[in-house]
Amino acid sequence: MPSVRPITPTEHRDHLASLPSASFLQTPGWAQVKSEWRSESLGWFDDSGKQRGAALVLYRKLPKLNRFLAYLPEGPVIDWDSDCLRDWLDPMVAHLKRQGAFAVRIGPPVVTRRWTAAQVKEGVADPDVKLLGQVPPEERSAAGARVVAQLHDLGWRHQAAEGGFAAGQPQYVFQVPLRHPDGTARTEDEVLKGMNQLWRRNIKKAAKEGVEVSAGTRDDLKAFHDLYVHTAERDHFTPRPLPYFEVMWDALNADAPDRLKLWLGRHQGDLVAATLAVRVGEHYWYSYGASSTEKREVRGSNAVQWAMIQDALASGCAVYDLRGITDTLDSDDSHVGLIQFKVGTGGEAVEYAGEWDLPINRALYKAFQIYLARR
Amino acid sequence: MSLTLTVDGPRWRAHLEDVARTHPGLVPVAKGNGYGFTLGRLARKTQWLADREHDVTTLAVGTYDELPEVASRWRGDVLVLTPWRPFVEPVDPALARRVVHTVSRYDDLRALLAAEPEARLVLEHATSMRRHGMTGRELWDAGALLRKHPGARVEGVALHLPLQQGSHLGEVNRILTSTVAADAGLTTAWVSHLTDAELKSLSASWPDFTFRPRIGTSLWLGDRGALKVTATVLDVHPVERGDVFGYRGRTAPKSGHVLVVSGGTAHGIGLEAPTGDQSVKARAATLARGGLDAIGFVRSPYSIEGKQRLFAEPPHMQASMLFVPQGARVPEVGDQVDVRVRYTATTFDRIVVEG
Repeated sequence: MPSVRPITPTEHRDHLASLPSASFLQTPGWAQVKSEWRSESLGWFDDSGKQRGAALVLYRKLPKLNRFLAYLPEGPVIDWDSDCLRDWLDPMVAHLKRQGAFAVRIGPPVVTRRWTAAQVKEGVADPDVKLLGQVPPEERSAAGARVVAQLHDLGWRHQAAEGGFAAGQPQYVFQVPLRHPDGTARTEDEVLKGMNQLWRRNIKKAAKEGVEVSAGTRDDLKAFHDLYVHTAERDHFTPRPLPYFEVMWDALNADAPDRLKLWLGRHQGDLVAATLAVRVGEHYWYSYGASSTEKREVRGSNAVQWAMIQDALASGCAVYDLRGITDTLDSDDSHVGLIQFKVGTGGEAVEYAGEWDLPINRALYKAFQIYLARR
Repeated sequence: MSLTLTVDGPRWRAHLEDVARTHPGLVPVAKGNGYGFTLGRLARKTQWLADREHDVTTLAVGTYDELPEVASRWRGDVLVLTPWRPFVEPVDPALARRVVHTVSRYDDLRALLAAEPEARLVLEHATSMRRHGMTGRELWDAGALLRKHPGARVEGVALHLPLQQGSHLGEVNRILTSTVAADAGLTTAWVSHLTDAELKSLSASWPDFTFRPRIGTSLWLGDRGALKVTATVLDVHPVERGDVFGYRGRTAPKSGHVLVVSGGTAHGIGLEAPTGDQSVKARAATLARGGLDAIGFVRSPYSIEGKQRLFAEPPHMQASMLFVPQGARVPEVGDQVDVRVRYTATTFDRIVVEG
């Protein structure tokens, strides 16, 4: 049974570097991005002293009390294939309890179901289908089911994200596989052929119109941010301030060079689209995006997406991840447009095990849930 | 001269077809006394449903001993609900291909695959009933074993849910997750005691799974109005208060008539079976009946003109004696009187399907 103790950011970084990939929310750099919470890096060690796992814990303080929700977004990074998850989770929970946690929330980075783009498309077209879960999945993962079954048995509670995005990390995401099932890399041509006609046409059009996409530097974050604030006004969401992205740049790129990249799409000198991409090992995420309202016809957004996919392929990545979708396939729902955009890439909808809570102090946990419900 | 079950044929068959139509994949259950109809008749009726092109491919029996009763009257598959054990005698080779075994222990799975590598089977998962079935972990082990026996014919996972009030959905979802975790390609779930709403909800959230609802009582006995049980009045004797009668030399408490009617212990009449009703009222009623038994007459399941009559003495093997007090209308020899029975505990002399 592995033991758990706090580790240094260096130990944390070195362990992640030994793995094919991990969520960027579990990197030591992410702790600096989420500086409003106390954080801690944890390591799992076997009897011979070899490190077997790592986690980034964010401690979210309860108002007025010196008690915390210990939150491990998309983590911990442990052997989720284990048939004995108790051995991994028990020492972690014991440690977090000593740190003053009244509850623990984890997000096992474990896939439970997958649907092809064609299946999602059919689901949207079918008036009887309202939810992704009503479409027979291409695959149900036995490994994922084992994690879910074990967490149930161990007293963890699934936090259902009903209707749209819940507060936590999305349970459903859209990903473009960059490798064949046999593990060989797909070519640019193969990925392009997997896209729907609209995407292919838009990528071609951007090239024809002369949209030029290039990787930016830290100094270009200001230009990205200006466009992002513009997008926020247009699309009615609250933008984050520029320093948030500067901290993200510094922290993530200190963990590994080029972990956070900025992509800028320009047309005749005008910035028409800009995105942020994160890469950890073989996993490449499209993280933030911005686009101009002018010159939409030059298809800058498709151009930067394609540049990121090409970059992911060139870096030897296994997955290009477009992040969250909701599980609604109801064509009357406003979220469905987002799914349709992502489905155009020809990838697959992926369900993860979701977020799970383990109450340690039941009374406080209950109070916390009531507080969340009223928020 | 007999205890008779009279069935309103058109109404009963319409009900059977209605259940089959609204429950695709229906697995009729015919076990024990055949819910009063006999196993043979239920097997024929199942064949009739299949012939009418309802989605009925499998009939469930309770035990291996019941197989011969149904096998010649029904051409499809037969699921045996009692879990297979190593001491079960091999099935008649002529039937082996049609029989689906229920396997509820990992060791039994290994033994069955060794004894009959071609055996068809379902894996039973334990439920809150805690009767038969494997735990989730055992199912994973079973899955690992089955992956080494690609020739095994596993037809799904089976679960037997309690009759409880409240939702079964959480439990079934967890069991299906365990089934996926077993990684044995199981995508059929044989279930019982789910409401129609629960079945609908499960089919929506597990669209790649097939659900096979096993239904007995609500299929065969679901429309009680189509069924009528009657006994024949065999003899009528006027008695005065104090007259002695019967095997036990009892005396009449007041003047009236003693009736001899068909139906006795051989049919299951007068045998007290637990009703399953656990309310305080029901238990008090049982106590009251016991008290009545000690001092006098016990209420019988026979009713004459809508009024339940008392047993004049405990039922005999094939007939019962009732007491009808002075003033009530007295039926004549040959008349029919109504009897209320538990179908699963009654053997009828005659079953008449009208129409």
